[in-house]
Amino acid sequence: MALDYHKCAQEISDIIGGGQNIVSAAHCATRLRLVTVDNSKVDKAKLENVDGVKGVFESNGQLQIIIGTGTVNKVYDEFLKITGVSEATKDEVKAAAAAKKPVWYRMIKALGDVFVPILPAIVASGLMMGLVEALGKAIPNFASTDWYGFLDLVSSTAFAYLPVIVAVSAARVFGGNIFLGAVIGLCMINSSLTNAWSLGSADTQVNYWYLLGHLKIGAWTVGSVRQVGYQGHVIPVIIAVWLMCQLEKWLHKHVPEMIDLFVTPLTTVLVTAFLTFTVIGPIFAQLESWVLVGAEWLVKNPIGAGVMGAVYPVTVVMGLHHMYNIIEASMLSSVGLNTWMPIASAANFAQFGACLAVGIKTRNRKTKAVAVPSSMSAALGITEPAIFGVNMRFMKPFVAGMIGGAAGSVFAAFSGIGATAYGVTGIPGYLTINNIPVYTILLLLSGGIAFAVTMAIWKEDAEVKSEEKEDAAEMAAADASLQNAGTAGAPTSAQNGAPVDLPEVMCCSAGKASAPAKGRVISYEDIPDPTFASGALGAGVGIEPEEGVVYAPCDGTISTVAETKHAIGISDGDLEYLIHVGVDTVKMNGDGFDVSVKEGDKVVRGQKIMTFDRGKIKAAGYPDTVVFLLTNSDDYPDFKTNL
Amino acid sequence: MKQFDFTVTDEQGIHARPAGLLIKEAKNFASGITVFKGDKSADMKKLLALMGLGIKKGETITVRVEGEDEEQAAAAIEKFLKETF
Repeated sequence: MALDYHKCAQEISDIIGGGQNIVSAAHCATRLRLVTVDNSKVDKAKLENVDGVKGVFESNGQLQIIIGTGTVNKVYDEFLKITGVSEATKDEVKAAAAAKKPVWYRMIKALGDVFVPILPAIVASGLMMGLVEALGKAIPNFASTDWYGFLDLVSSTAFAYLPVIVAVSAARVFGGNIFLGAVIGLCMINSSLTNAWSLGSADTQVNYWYLLGHLKIGAWTVGSVRQVGYQGHVIPVIIAVWLMCQLEKWLHKHVPEMIDLFVTPLTTVLVTAFLTFTVIGPIFAQLESWVLVGAEWLVKNPIGAGVMGAVYPVTVVMGLHHMYNIIEASMLSSVGLNTWMPIASAANFAQFGACLAVGIKTRNRKTKAVAVPSSMSAALGITEPAIFGVNMRFMKPFVAGMIGGAAGSVFAAFSGIGATAYGVTGIPGYLTINNIPVYTILLLLSGGIAFAVTMAIWKEDAEVKSEEKEDAAEMAAADASLQNAGTAGAPTSAQNGAPVDLPEVMCCSAGKASAPAKGRVISYEDIPDPTFASGALGAGVGIEPEEGVVYAPCDGTISTVAETKHAIGISDGDLEYLIHVGVDTVKMNGDGFDVSVKEGDKVVRGQKIMTFDRGKIKAAGYPDTVVFLLTNSDDYPDFKTNL
Repeated sequence: MKQFDFTVTDEQGIHARPAGLLIKEAKNFASGITVFKGDKSADMKKLLALMGLGIKKGETITVRVEGEDEEQAAAAIEKFLKETF
């Protein structure tokens, strides 16, 4: 995008309050992520109006400024130069943001950090389980085949040994040795312990070790270890590994270096294992069971599920949704079915519906450009862009999303469906869900209601609305002419439909010209490109197009069509006009441009001469401003534009 | 009359926007400046004519400068072409 990166960065810096109000700065694919000393100093409305900024929101203590793929890095570079802030990685920014948060928040964030990296293992196993199940239904006696045995082994392993995976991930997050973490995880499900899953059967007897004799406090024997594994548990593992990491780090600091290598690991593992089996394990396993029972009750109870579906997006906004991973992981490893996922899916898909409705209903180009792709991402289960970038900004769509999510969740509670993985919602959820038709209804219900409610209660302000009608009519006309349906009056050019009457934008003694495209007319000096804006190519106007069609601005002859189809020259007597669609669009090599005239063709004013794909220009990261210049305006002292 | 050849190395060739800059440069001089590509030619002071040549990467053009300030003009244009394309 030939956005003026420096200008954009300068404006952002000015509004934020310069380098002294910035703790750290990083960027991701589309956003500038800043941590500011004082977010309240930042005027977000002003930020949103900076040219090049597509949206602004606050999340997780970060100020996030949506700029766009391929552009954000350039603005970022300028931003660093202007503010003097040094480059930070995303993680540093996240850490800086987290440091400002209360303890409970950091705990939940740590949980998210533990569970997100292991997603691939969960997803692979979950999908494979779904596949095995589907094959079992499709092929009779599949369950007795060797393939079934094999696939069952492969798909169930990650869940059966989940404590080990969790332990490794936790050790990494909490800064310990991951192999020691693995040892703790493995201890907890060691095969010499009775398998927790076989406990139900009558002939299993639970044995105890009494490590500290038979000292009793109430009914509890101090130092007793129940010889049962922690299969299906997650929380005790995390707590154990957390403790292990603290211990390990403390020992590294205090044990003389000479003996550190063997003293520290030995002590760490022994002490952690002892505490885990005697105290942490029993307490947190019980706690986890209660949480799980609570969560399962909640999702089975229509009222509970409804409330959960409604507040789910709120918890996403607060960043609390990572905590659900733990519930989902526990469900999977204990009962093998994630009944929480349908609620998450309903809530996420409702945000998709609401966001899509905004995208369809809005006539604001900027809003549309954000809403449509965001909704697609939400349909795939990534709702942050839709929630932060669109729905929350207008609030009503967000509420509509909550309503849709609640409706879908109530339905989920009645249907009792579940998934074989976590972290996968929306459309990809089909791969893990146990009942495809019911899931379809769930998605349609939540997404549909959110969509309909948004359509009904959300309105853009009046001015935008009146434009909308006009625009819709024009769009219809344009569509009709595209299909050569001939709407009003007989088409003068059989090929291109009826000429369109657009307002006159420039004139001089030698002739005048109308706008070559529908949309807001700006001075050439405001075109987001220094060359055009300087007038080097002649004076004229820019048009911020509302549709991807170029009309001949005057009766004349096509004098040139650029090889890359993005520019057309038209001469009317001595007047030589240039229509240049977008800035830097030469680099698109004609992709997205369709010129219906060729050099030497005679055209009449208002005749359609080119169509272009605004989406593709946007996607390529360039402004789609239609530049319309009189290239030899220097020769006409009385030349003027009508803005 | 001054004349020189130039081979375009810019990926995009002489397209609209930089062509505009070239024209601006050309207009600084009183001399007539003509660009030849194959059997086609164009006045370098006319954007549409210049664009009409469709000069692409790897193509060689001939620039002819005729007039009172042809020395300076040819030097300036050649320098500009080398720097820009």
